[in-house]
Amino acid sequence: MSTSPALVVENLTKTYPAKGKAPAVEAVRGLSFSVEAGEFFGLLGPNGAGKSTTLGCITTLVRPTGGRILVAGVDVVAQPIEARRRLAVVPQTRNLDRDLTVREVLTYHGRYFGLPAAEREARADRLMTELQITEKATSKPLTLSGGMQQRVMIARALMHDPRVLLLDEPTTGLDPQARRQLWELLQGLHKRGVTIILTTHYMEEADRLCQRLAIVDHGRILTLDTPDNLKKSLPGGAILDLVARTPQPLLPTLAALAGVVRSERLEDASGDATKERLRLFVDAGDGLLDRVLSVVKSAGADLDHVSLMAPSLEDVYIHLTGKDLRE
Amino acid sequence: MTAFLALLRRDIVVASRNALMLLTASLTQPVLVVLVFGNILPRLHLVSDEFRAVMVPGLMSITMLMAGVQGVLMPLSTDLGGSREVDERLLAPISVLGVSIQKVVAGAIHAGTAGLIALPAMMLLMHKVTGVEVHPRWALLLPGVVLSGLLSASFGLTLGTQVQPRFAGLLFAVVLGPLMLFGCAYYPWMGLAVLGPVKYVFLLNPLVFMSEAMRMAVTPDVPHMPTPLLVGGLVGFTVLFVVLGTRSFARRTIL
Repeated sequence: MSTSPALVVENLTKTYPAKGKAPAVEAVRGLSFSVEAGEFFGLLGPNGAGKSTTLGCITTLVRPTGGRILVAGVDVVAQPIEARRRLAVVPQTRNLDRDLTVREVLTYHGRYFGLPAAEREARADRLMTELQITEKATSKPLTLSGGMQQRVMIARALMHDPRVLLLDEPTTGLDPQARRQLWELLQGLHKRGVTIILTTHYMEEADRLCQRLAIVDHGRILTLDTPDNLKKSLPGGAILDLVARTPQPLLPTLAALAGVVRSERLEDASGDATKERLRLFVDAGDGLLDRVLSVVKSAGADLDHVSLMAPSLEDVYIHLTGKDLRE
Repeated sequence: MTAFLALLRRDIVVASRNALMLLTASLTQPVLVVLVFGNILPRLHLVSDEFRAVMVPGLMSITMLMAGVQGVLMPLSTDLGGSREVDERLLAPISVLGVSIQKVVAGAIHAGTAGLIALPAMMLLMHKVTGVEVHPRWALLLPGVVLSGLLSASFGLTLGTQVQPRFAGLLFAVVLGPLMLFGCAYYPWMGLAVLGPVKYVFLLNPLVFMSEAMRMAVTPDVPHMPTPLLVGGLVGFTVLFVVLGTRSFARRTIL
């Protein structure tokens, strides 16, 4: 096979040894996944889930305790230098060389990777245009806004034309506008064929960008699939909310309908005793909505509101871990 | 090797942009010491001519020690600090050992430059005073400067990777200060015979060998320690600190 996966992680473990009074920390406990070339892959999980450690192991900056990692077919432990030629990382902390200008940050990165002069100059120009940082070419990185620094780091990462681009929580600390711009930028890169692996604890980000994602907690993968399949994996697969004024309770009859997996009454703030707010977890199969409506009609109720929603990744996460994403 | 040279180039370019600041930091102290002890006090007949001849190579070695240690220690604190700028280097296609050796070489260039600029500066300041016999012997001076630079920079790497940046002030006060006072910078090691066997305790101080090397190269008339001991000490301490420094650099950077 000429095309090996962009990234293979097999049974990765990492235990940070005990240090003084601090006990040993099992940050990653047997993680496996692989990412195909051209894929946009996400690691979603709360802070402390082991995402950054996993990324550190992939990028050769953290020594794995066990397991194997191949970047474009190259073992990162056995051949770290070769692996580094094939990957690039945009770290969580802004680590731009503060003594160089933006342009030099890019050209020196090119030098480190042995790019010939003409090529690194041309590539720096092209990336600065693409990432809209040309006007800052002669500025020092620390004078730039967070969003700008982020773009310089992405340009820097792309200088040596890596097979895999890894981003560690790239939008943490960015304002909403900068975050949106970064999303568009990443989508653009992905369309151009760059393999992207991203860690995040933002549901919306994972949902919007990633083709597949692994939900990670306590150093393990809880589930791994496309965002749509993850949402479909919830019991029922859809959420039906309805509000009605009714002379008799609707809940018992609705709960007994075929296709309703779970049901609950929601609090109603109006204090109107005849008003019923219900949430049904349903298999949105054939005729379900008709059956629900006929129950409502035959009870002589007036329907105020009805909505059928797809569940969000947040619901998936809560379902898997029994808790909210802790910030 | 490409990455090694590119990193070195980056360090030299950045250092040359800050040359004025770096040289001021390294040279102010020795130049002022020379001005007082080599020019003013002799005119007041408070110190002897011999002292001035002894002091010149000593101050060169102190200048190089400070420049070498600071040249590695200061960048290291931003490198290993919160923003982890070092990761950019570690992600370059070069081994971790290569990155740390490159830091030592860059620091040694810094130290050597400072030492070689300090020498004429000091000679100039003492110019009007008679009785100073300073004759640089370049064939001895240049290798001495190179080894002293490597020793200082690798010492800086060892300190910088084993001492937290917040203790840097303490480091200068309780480590570098005493090293300078007991580093045979202001007196020749051969003269310590008056102390009996205690003179051998001084050999635990790496600066002693740097001072004696400069003494041999710059003031031929002042007796210096036996050459094999001198070379052995310089090389030995350099190897020791390169090993210690690169090891703890690897420990600090790759988790």
